[in-house]
Amino acid sequence: MSYFTRTATAVAALLFSAPAIAAWEPTKPVEIVVAAGAGGASDQMARMMQAAIQKNNLMKQPMVVSLKGGASGAEALIYMKSSEGDANKVLIAYSLIYMLPLSAKIPFNWRELTPVSVVAMDQFVLWSNASKPYKNVKDFIEAAKASGTPFKMGGTGSKREDQVLTVFTEKKTGAKFNYLPYKSGGEAATQLVGNHIDANVNNPSENLEVWRAGQVKALCVFDKERINYTNKVTDTQSWKDIPTCKEEGLDVQYLMLRAMFLPGKVTDDQKAFYVDLFKKVTETPEYKDYMEKQALKPVYMTGEAMTKFLGEDDAVNTALMNEAGFVAK
Amino acid sequence: MEALGLLMQGFGVLLTWKILALMMVGLVLGIFVGVLPGLGGPNGVAILLPLTFTMDPTSAIVMLSCIYWGALFGGAITSILFNIPGEAWSVATTFDGYPMAQQGKAAEALTAAFTSSFIGSFAAVLLITFLAPAISSFALKFGPPEFFAVYLLTFCSFVGLGREDKHKTIISMSLGLLLAGIGLDTVSGQLRMTFGSSDMLRGVNFLVAVIGLFGISEILLTMEERLALRGHAAKISLRTVWQVWTDMPRYWVTLLRSSAIGCWLGITPGGAIAASFMGYNLAKRFSKDKESFGKGRIEGVFAPETAAHASGTAALLPMLALGIPGSGTAAILLGGLMVWGLNPGPLLFVEHKDFVWGLIASMYLGNIVGLILVLSTVPVFAAVLRVPFAAIAPMIVVSCAIGAFAIQNAMFDIWLMLVFGVIGYVFKKIGIPLAPLTLALVLGNRAEDAFRLSMIGAEGNLGVFWSNKLVGTITTLAIVLLFWPILDRLIAGISKARRPARA
Amino acid sequence: MPNSDMEIVVDDPTAPDDNSPAVTSKRTVDLIVSLLLIAFAILMAWDNQRTGASWDSSGPQAGYFPFYLSLILGGAALFGFVKTLMEPASEAKAFVTRAQLGRVMVVLVPTFLFCLALKFLGLYVSSFLLICGFMGFVGKIAWWKSLLTAFIFTAVMFIVFDVYFDVLMPKGPLEALIGR
Repeated sequence: MSYFTRTATAVAALLFSAPAIAAWEPTKPVEIVVAAGAGGASDQMARMMQAAIQKNNLMKQPMVVSLKGGASGAEALIYMKSSEGDANKVLIAYSLIYMLPLSAKIPFNWRELTPVSVVAMDQFVLWSNASKPYKNVKDFIEAAKASGTPFKMGGTGSKREDQVLTVFTEKKTGAKFNYLPYKSGGEAATQLVGNHIDANVNNPSENLEVWRAGQVKALCVFDKERINYTNKVTDTQSWKDIPTCKEEGLDVQYLMLRAMFLPGKVTDDQKAFYVDLFKKVTETPEYKDYMEKQALKPVYMTGEAMTKFLGEDDAVNTALMNEAGFVAK
Repeated sequence: MEALGLLMQGFGVLLTWKILALMMVGLVLGIFVGVLPGLGGPNGVAILLPLTFTMDPTSAIVMLSCIYWGALFGGAITSILFNIPGEAWSVATTFDGYPMAQQGKAAEALTAAFTSSFIGSFAAVLLITFLAPAISSFALKFGPPEFFAVYLLTFCSFVGLGREDKHKTIISMSLGLLLAGIGLDTVSGQLRMTFGSSDMLRGVNFLVAVIGLFGISEILLTMEERLALRGHAAKISLRTVWQVWTDMPRYWVTLLRSSAIGCWLGITPGGAIAASFMGYNLAKRFSKDKESFGKGRIEGVFAPETAAHASGTAALLPMLALGIPGSGTAAILLGGLMVWGLNPGPLLFVEHKDFVWGLIASMYLGNIVGLILVLSTVPVFAAVLRVPFAAIAPMIVVSCAIGAFAIQNAMFDIWLMLVFGVIGYVFKKIGIPLAPLTLALVLGNRAEDAFRLSMIGAEGNLGVFWSNKLVGTITTLAIVLLFWPILDRLIAGISKARRPARA
Repeated sequence: MPNSDMEIVVDDPTAPDDNSPAVTSKRTVDLIVSLLLIAFAILMAWDNQRTGASWDSSGPQAGYFPFYLSLILGGAALFGFVKTLMEPASEAKAFVTRAQLGRVMVVLVPTFLFCLALKFLGLYVSSFLLICGFMGFVGKIAWWKSLLTAFIFTAVMFIVFDVYFDVLMPKGPLEALIGR
């Protein structure tokens, strides 16, 4: 008797929980792979996600941040490529996935990974030292042209987004810059404060602290429209107060994706789990807070839309790299 | 006083149960590591480093520096009780420390050693406290040429002032610089020396190399020797402590002199080894009773220990302020800073005030707690030596492997560690110094990047290294130090040539 | 009895024999190392010259420093080679005696096997095997002590790294079985 009831309950339980069993869930801690050094924009974002997932109980297993910034991030790409079928690793990617294979001939193509979702777009801003006389982009470009030795422009890494922006600024204005590749955006920020470089093209998050301290000023943002956050960041300015470069007569635009990827050859169930997970992450207060603080553009894309976007974005980046002459022969 | 205010803030950061607990753990692990044969300060810190990877930087550095203080204290235990200097800088301590133990005065010798370590460190920490605020205002003056000049100075002083065969120092340093260059070149974005291997993309990690060069090779070297030992046990009573302490003010000149020597040699890359010998020799020279040195004189313990610890502590100042390690352990702490995302260098004092002052405050606290801890637990730690090496050796191997793997989660690094272990063993035996190699590995990339960024900024004009007073002075000094042996001989030659003329 | 009269004595039953014959001399090893370094320098110089070792408009190219460094390394090693060759062979000291080499191999070989096992068995199982094997076979320590020590050490490592600090370590079938 009791045997029967027990079996019956077990069967019933099995039936009712069937959908839950079918859905895949990670059984081990999930590694969130960062293709940059500690403290960089990707690392900060990974840690925000880790916190958001933990605080809101979005996943049973813990999430571990794994820094693979070696070789300017190539390490992370190779690591993801060689982890085929392992759904416990997720990469937090940026434009490097298009550019690094072109400039350094690294055997990698983002199509070998499984795209999960785009979670944000990052801005670029042209910054200069606060003590310099120029007030806007025009003054700055005039000063750069008039200077005997070319202005020094700082940025992260070589033959990447920062240098591409520098090259296009040169092409559009005719001013000449010497580009200084630093290891991180933080270094480029402090070197700007110390007046060792004349400008940098950091992401908002990388210059946030020195901007708030009044040590640097924001000349323009490389986007079609202004950044849509109106809360005051410095004493007098909000992100929205920074004009776009186009308004100021410098027609250069660039946005950088921040997207999540799984290794290649994972099952659809596994992919579905992460699509759902990161959808939930973008709805958390932690995420929203982070977007505003770091002046990121909250964009969410997945599935077909994402694949289409990646294809177009890849074409744009490749064209830029070709035009800048950064593609290794 | 700006320094005092900041220091109080630092103490505020520290005084939480979690950090105090980590300090105790660090100290105990450190003493353990200092006592064990085949380990010692730098190795211990290197092996235990991965434990701290998931901590926040302040807790991490507090724990690591406590391991370091612990190891310094621990080294004295084996020197005095067993006549085995755990570290090269403890050699001078054995001169009078071991004879004291033989005469049944082990407790006095140990108390003297611990107390003078404390005094030495304390003097150096005071120095750091009052110099640190000045550094942060100085910090923003450093651009690429200044950084390069400072790195050049460090490299040149190694070649010029090192006591090993010059060609061996050069081999070691150029090998290190070459290995540091493997991987993706930041300035041009090009791959180099990877031979198409994706494992080589990452390059040779400094910490992996250190774990192999020091950890693994030290086990191999230790195995070669006879591991039998014979020594004295000791228990320190409050009465002995009191006796030694009341006796100590008589030696204030020695203590003061040794502290000064230590601080000076720690900041300039002279190192703790030189400091301990210099402290000992000077104490002997100025003593009225020179004969009694080496026969168990307490002053002979005070002098080298104070100097060694003052210098070991002071070595942290150039590490934090300029990103240049003054000692092997400081080099590993430097590697740690980079792992936690902190950029060692002058800007650290501007960007991470909390971290820097937390560390300085932990030096005070760590030393006081450490002193009390060692005084009360000497018998326990002396007994560690009874544990057979056959049990310790595999545990060290495992710890090394964990350390090497955790840095980049790469299996390849474990093999790299093993290769460096063998290289370290062979190099040590044929007299190729390892210090320049490790220094080059940790500074190589930064030096090259700084040079090339200077060149881009100055459009290829080498004059940029003499473009202002600061950078010009450092560069010139570097070149003088590189050719120091030749200059030294020239000066000696000139004065010799003059003397007969005068006679 | 005063404390200081207590003696700690530790014996080393497997200590290397002092009269063991030398396997090779320091001089020979010095020469071999010099040759290896020269070969390494040539390889690196060749690779960097391929990358580009000249000085273009914006300063040195990627291969410039490594190229000249390999020349310096090669030069210094060559100098060392010639210098050692000039020294009389008769004065050479032993690099390692046969007994010493045996002891070194006793550590090196298990370490090598341990590194090999890491990939397949994971860190914790390999560590357990290394520690208890080494203590038992090399140290001739009673098996129960060896097993117990190895177990405690490995368990502590597992709890500290895996459970408490979330440090990722290589894992094998056993960890998969208990679901970590």
